[in-house]
Amino acid sequence: MKKFLALALSVCLTAAVVIGCGSTPAPAPSQAASAASTPAAASAAGLQPADGPVELSLSWWGGDARHEATQKAVDAFTTKYPNITVKTNYGAWTGWEDTMSTALYAGTAQDVDQVNWNWIFNYDNDGKTFVDLNTLSDYIDLTQFNEAALAQCTVNGRLTAIPVAMTGRIFYWNQTTFDEAGIATPTTFDELLAAGETFKTKLGEEYYPLAMNQLDRMIFMVWALECEYGKDWVVDGKLNYSQAEIEDGLALISQLEEAHVIPTMEKVLGDGAESFDKNPKWMEGKYAGIFEWDSSATKMQAALNEGQEFVVGEFLTGFGDYKGGFTKVSLGFSIAESAEYPVESAMLINFLLNEEEGVKLMASERGIPLSKVALQICTDNDLLNPIVAEANGKVLAWCEYNLDPTFEDAKLKSTDGVYYDVMDGLSYGDYDLAEAASILIEGIEATLAAA
Amino acid sequence: MTPSAPKGALKKRSGLSRFFRNNMGLVYILPWLIGFLIFKLYPFASSLVYSFSNFHLFKGITEWGVMNYVEAFTSKKITTALLTTIKYSIFTVPLKLVAALFIAYILNFKIKGVNFFRTAYYIPSILGGSVAIAVLWKALFRDEGLINGLLAMFGVQGPSWLSNPDYALFIICILRIWQFGSAMVIFLAALKGVPTELYEAATIDGAGKWRQFRSITLPMITPVVFYNLITQLVQAFQEFNGPYIITQGGPRNSTTLISLLVYNFGFKQNEFGMASALSWIMFIIVMVFTILAFVSQKYWVYYGDEEGK
Amino acid sequence: MIGVKARNRISTFFKYFVLIVVGFIMVYPLLWMVSATFKSNNEIFSGIGLIPQNPTLDGYRNAMNDYGGDINLLRSMLNTYSYVIPKVIFTILSSAITAYGFGRFDFKGKRILFAVMLSTLFLPQVVLNVPQYLLYNTFGWVDSPWYLALIIPTLFAVDTYFVFMLVQFMRGIPKELDEAAQIDGCNTFQTLVKVIAPMLKPALVSCALFQFMWSSNDFMGPLLYVNTPAKYPAAIFVKLSMDADNGFAWNRVLAISLISIIPSLIVFFAAQNQFIEGISAGSVKG
Repeated sequence: MKKFLALALSVCLTAAVVIGCGSTPAPAPSQAASAASTPAAASAAGLQPADGPVELSLSWWGGDARHEATQKAVDAFTTKYPNITVKTNYGAWTGWEDTMSTALYAGTAQDVDQVNWNWIFNYDNDGKTFVDLNTLSDYIDLTQFNEAALAQCTVNGRLTAIPVAMTGRIFYWNQTTFDEAGIATPTTFDELLAAGETFKTKLGEEYYPLAMNQLDRMIFMVWALECEYGKDWVVDGKLNYSQAEIEDGLALISQLEEAHVIPTMEKVLGDGAESFDKNPKWMEGKYAGIFEWDSSATKMQAALNEGQEFVVGEFLTGFGDYKGGFTKVSLGFSIAESAEYPVESAMLINFLLNEEEGVKLMASERGIPLSKVALQICTDNDLLNPIVAEANGKVLAWCEYNLDPTFEDAKLKSTDGVYYDVMDGLSYGDYDLAEAASILIEGIEATLAAA
Repeated sequence: MTPSAPKGALKKRSGLSRFFRNNMGLVYILPWLIGFLIFKLYPFASSLVYSFSNFHLFKGITEWGVMNYVEAFTSKKITTALLTTIKYSIFTVPLKLVAALFIAYILNFKIKGVNFFRTAYYIPSILGGSVAIAVLWKALFRDEGLINGLLAMFGVQGPSWLSNPDYALFIICILRIWQFGSAMVIFLAALKGVPTELYEAATIDGAGKWRQFRSITLPMITPVVFYNLITQLVQAFQEFNGPYIITQGGPRNSTTLISLLVYNFGFKQNEFGMASALSWIMFIIVMVFTILAFVSQKYWVYYGDEEGK
Repeated sequence: MIGVKARNRISTFFKYFVLIVVGFIMVYPLLWMVSATFKSNNEIFSGIGLIPQNPTLDGYRNAMNDYGGDINLLRSMLNTYSYVIPKVIFTILSSAITAYGFGRFDFKGKRILFAVMLSTLFLPQVVLNVPQYLLYNTFGWVDSPWYLALIIPTLFAVDTYFVFMLVQFMRGIPKELDEAAQIDGCNTFQTLVKVIAPMLKPALVSCALFQFMWSSNDFMGPLLYVNTPAKYPAAIFVKLSMDADNGFAWNRVLAISLISIIPSLIVFFAAQNQFIEGISAGSVKG
């Protein structure tokens, strides 16, 4: 019965919003402004805080530090609004997306959900999963977020997530190992290649200046190709690189393997670790470099054994004339259509991302905040992890290309997806460059066509 | 309700009551029947329906037909997974049964501390499903893990168990074979049931241990071999945890069993139509193997009482 | 004669040798796991020995961490057993009743229904997940504080493996006992309770133990149906501990895993004789 009521309510709500938009031809921002000045308009759309007690729910995944920080921020929120209670649901990433997708489909997801960027494309095809947050701009200060980031979260004109942070990939080095090898951390392609040889002769077969898994390789290749050719990976739903160009990129990966710069996939898988932060070779410094998200810096750093020095690298030059690489929304907060109290949900998001109290507690738990005011508060109070801040700064200053949302489609990115197949196949010698390139192109085009 | 009621009274009872009297069993199985209809048949039937559609959780259904089945038998990924599953089962089930029978056979001699050994052999079966074991397994079979460390002590350079497509399936098999304890316990009980007079007679006839085993023990326990075969076969075809946690189906899809593929299609890619079709194919394969086993039993399974079943 | 004695000795030696070597191989991984909980990350990866060189209790100390007070290891274990125990009880009751129906009565369609029941053993659970989820959701069982989605189905003997096992076992109980009870004036239900159930006891114990172990290990079920951290069972908690922001401590994860399986071990040791008697008896009557 409650579910049915909620459904009926949300239908009425959407209807109200649609009718409201239809009757006022004014563009969205001014509509929001007028709504703010005249409460009557807001009530007409049904978007007003409730009077009585309100129960919200919030979900996220992450590690222990994130759980604790978020829980504290939520407590601060409920102290500020005594009529609101927030039921939290959090867990480990393993299996999280599988259950969330089921819950989103069934309409049982929490009111406010931490979403991976690609979810808003994968799980909202019909626009019935997430609320258009433009309609709640009275309660979430959207002006704190830059246009480009908001655009990344807009699907068919509907803003379905508030971006929390922007992230991109960057190099990290284990300074200690490089010192042992007697060379500086690389800044150019040639230095990187030379480091492979130096590591092998000076430190031994087991030492590599860089280690990349399948997805790392894919992102690295796109990065290198963008550096060389200066164009986006996908434009207007079409893959923007030719067979020959992609073969070029794949050849680069093979070259790195042959030059002892990166271990083969067979070696990496043989280490028996799910990721490099759990890989003893990384902990011990035998793998002395990674190409990782800026937001992963603390995790990778903490994994190192005592006495190892972790540094943020420079983007390598010498791959081409352009500054390749993309930034993407690392994650966001969305409101599910099934939410009973969208207004309070929006207030919660705003509290976590834009209000001093919440921002201070959340700090850089989800990356360097994108919200301008939050960033200001965090810098003023010295709340940002210096390593993450450095990495994020370098990424934002360098990367200038866009990421197509289908880049992270499960058909490509998951462990049985195309990227894994191509990168493993190439490394294991199952595919030659031409084969690997055509399998990659075919897979990407199929995904783009289905999107 | 009184069974001792005179027969005449029964005749006068209504048809309904007679129905109940003749079908009291139905009343007892009613809970199961209800549960079956609601919790099993309905979801399963709906998956059959979905298997003929391109049902995607977030895109809905736009097409009906047999395309999923066509793709299943033409896509290399899926046919490979089917073959891998069969390979896995054919390798795991017999080895597990042989190991279980062998140890049970030894334990059946008057061994001191039978209970201790039985427990030691049984423990892996209890813990096999837990996450901890999966973590452990990965650590054991790493390139520099325990197994290769032991091999190195004998001067053998171990392979890359986790990353070599030729060996990865093997470690998934070993994980299951390691859990032979439950089959062993069942064998042990069966062995104890073989009348000792038979052995005494055979010894007098001068039959060696191996002869005795082949001509007395084995035939006497065939019903239990059969039982173990069926339960292990069903388990093997549904194996999911091993590849899911240890290898994620890799390297090069060498450990992608069909149940993992079903999971990937259903939950990772939300292609529920395809996932349904695959599980139906899997269901049918398991059924075929089971029926084959049931048919074959009249050629090799010896039922002492000849009452059958 | 001496030859025979010597041969016997050799064969005895051989038997024990095999048992001990194989047994050691079987148990070694578990011993290693126990010892690894006292090792640092480095040591876990650097050697294969059992004795920790620099034993540390960090793993156990950190295993007791909680997440904002919502959930910790002990609470998650309590949660586990708060649904595992009802599941076990309901499973035994419903399975025994169903098995009684199949094992002791004749009715129209029995053979077909029995075959149907057996065939559900072969249903891959993965494909049932989504339709079941939708179904339970309409019943309002998802994220129920009473774990309804996990418990209620067991009232209906959904784990047919147990029914099958009990039916097999029941075949070994002479029908004359039932008849005697009915002559004494018992109705069929009283026969079940007073005659069959006591005879079934070892089989019931092993069903209970199996269900106990399986439900405690189950990961998918709680992952789908329990969405409140305070209600998380141990299986989920172990996974939760594996996603660490600040470095991955293997000793902690292994310690958590180890503690979480202790109840299963205790239960197994306490009841192992009956347990083994149960599974054996169930199948031997094949």
